[in-house]
Amino acid sequence: MGRGSSRAWIFGAAAALVLATGLYLGLVVVPPDAVQGEVQRIMYLHVPSIVTAYLAFTVVFCSSILYLWKRDLRFDAVAVSSAEIGVLFTGITLATGCIWGKTTWGVWWTWDARLTLTAILFTIYVGYLMLRSFAEDPQAGARYGAVLAIIGFLDIPLNHMAVQWWRTLHQPSSILRPGGTSVASVMLVPLAINFAGLSLLYTYLLLERVRLERIRHRAAEVRLKRGRRG
Amino acid sequence: MGSWGFIGLAYGVASVALLGYLFLLKGRLRGARDELAALERDGGRRGR
Amino acid sequence: MVAGMLRRTWAMTWKDVRVELRARERVNAMLFFAALVLFIFNFALGPDREKLREVAPGLLWLAFLFTGMLGLGRSFQAERENECFEELLLTPGDRESIFFGKLAGNVLFMVTAEALILPLFGILYNLDIWPYLPSLALVAFLGTVGFSTLGTLLAAMTAHLRAREVMLPLLLFPLTVPVILGSVRATEVILAGGGLGEVSHWLKLLGGFDLIFLVVSPLVFEFVLEE
Repeated sequence: MGRGSSRAWIFGAAAALVLATGLYLGLVVVPPDAVQGEVQRIMYLHVPSIVTAYLAFTVVFCSSILYLWKRDLRFDAVAVSSAEIGVLFTGITLATGCIWGKTTWGVWWTWDARLTLTAILFTIYVGYLMLRSFAEDPQAGARYGAVLAIIGFLDIPLNHMAVQWWRTLHQPSSILRPGGTSVASVMLVPLAINFAGLSLLYTYLLLERVRLERIRHRAAEVRLKRGRRG
Repeated sequence: MGSWGFIGLAYGVASVALLGYLFLLKGRLRGARDELAALERDGGRRGR
Repeated sequence: MVAGMLRRTWAMTWKDVRVELRARERVNAMLFFAALVLFIFNFALGPDREKLREVAPGLLWLAFLFTGMLGLGRSFQAERENECFEELLLTPGDRESIFFGKLAGNVLFMVTAEALILPLFGILYNLDIWPYLPSLALVAFLGTVGFSTLGTLLAAMTAHLRAREVMLPLLLFPLTVPVILGSVRATEVILAGGGLGEVSHWLKLLGGFDLIFLVVSPLVFEFVLEE
């Protein structure tokens, strides 16, 4: 069973190195933001986190379509694994967003466009995971999940439009962008590096999680065969 | 809590979440592998 | 080919309508629940007239949506209880007709309930809705179609699940946020006297939502029905 393991750790190690660099740059090297001060540094974690989550959910979308088309369980393994990790990153985005909000607006929660959208995204994919676990059998769970993943992904841009129109029509758009209304080029560096690091981490977690799923598939197969024989 | 306190909180929460997930995942992998090995062992014996 | 599909769709819808006309379970439950919602919100929010007026569009749509939710939850109940899902699959013809047939039935029930809830709403909250009726009807129709399209698909999916009464709302509401926001905001503007022109972007969003999912849902529906 050591086939895949030899390669996955490389992503993990690479992720650790890249993230360490990004952390150092973002927390130590880059100067504090002129408007927000030091707390703006939370953005170096918050923004790459949500982008990685979107990457994860795009993978869920693609592998769901591939699963419904080819019926290869490996695609389904990728879908559920990527969704789980996507939920993890979305949760981190929410938490860091709330913490940043507490320092900026003084409250843990506000119905700001971005926080609201992240919360909706979180709920959609938690629903996906619940749907799969409540299905009467794993095959049905895979099918239903794939359908929901396709619907959910198509829904995301519609949600974006709706929530943003809702907020901007009622209050002036706040200075939410990382670093103020324009991002200084020096700040782009830790953002980009952390995104690269989190993507590597995502890949590492995905490979391991898919391996877990494949082991479970094999166990199910063995049980099935034994059931027939016995 | 000062600015750096909140920054620490944010990065701390993220680290705990990510490392925690990885740790749990490794645990789940170990468990699944043991289960599969046990299944295959028994299956082989019974098939004789 | 299109005629055949329309015929099968109509057969599906008519079956659901006939069952409902006989038992009258669904629409009754929906109406009773809507009335309850409208009453309770009045008690929950207190007697302040102005405050009630402000939140009135939201309340109206809460009543519509919870009621719609109730109806959707039942839309595959007959099939599930009598184990007719297999029979549905054996029916000759395309899966899309089954979907559209079910959808048409759900929209019909929800619109019927809305048509009865609206005057009740006007009376309880002392709002003059009649001059705005055509615009309100358009918004309600677009919102209902969008909500019911995803609702029908998800109702079929959750029909077999454990905890299905919880799963359907949990899955449906986050996905229909564009419908909810669009409908409520548009209703708000209309009730304040603004014309359809002022809400054209919301109407476009609702229309776009409806179009996208009216195309995608029947396509993926066959994967839900498979056994």
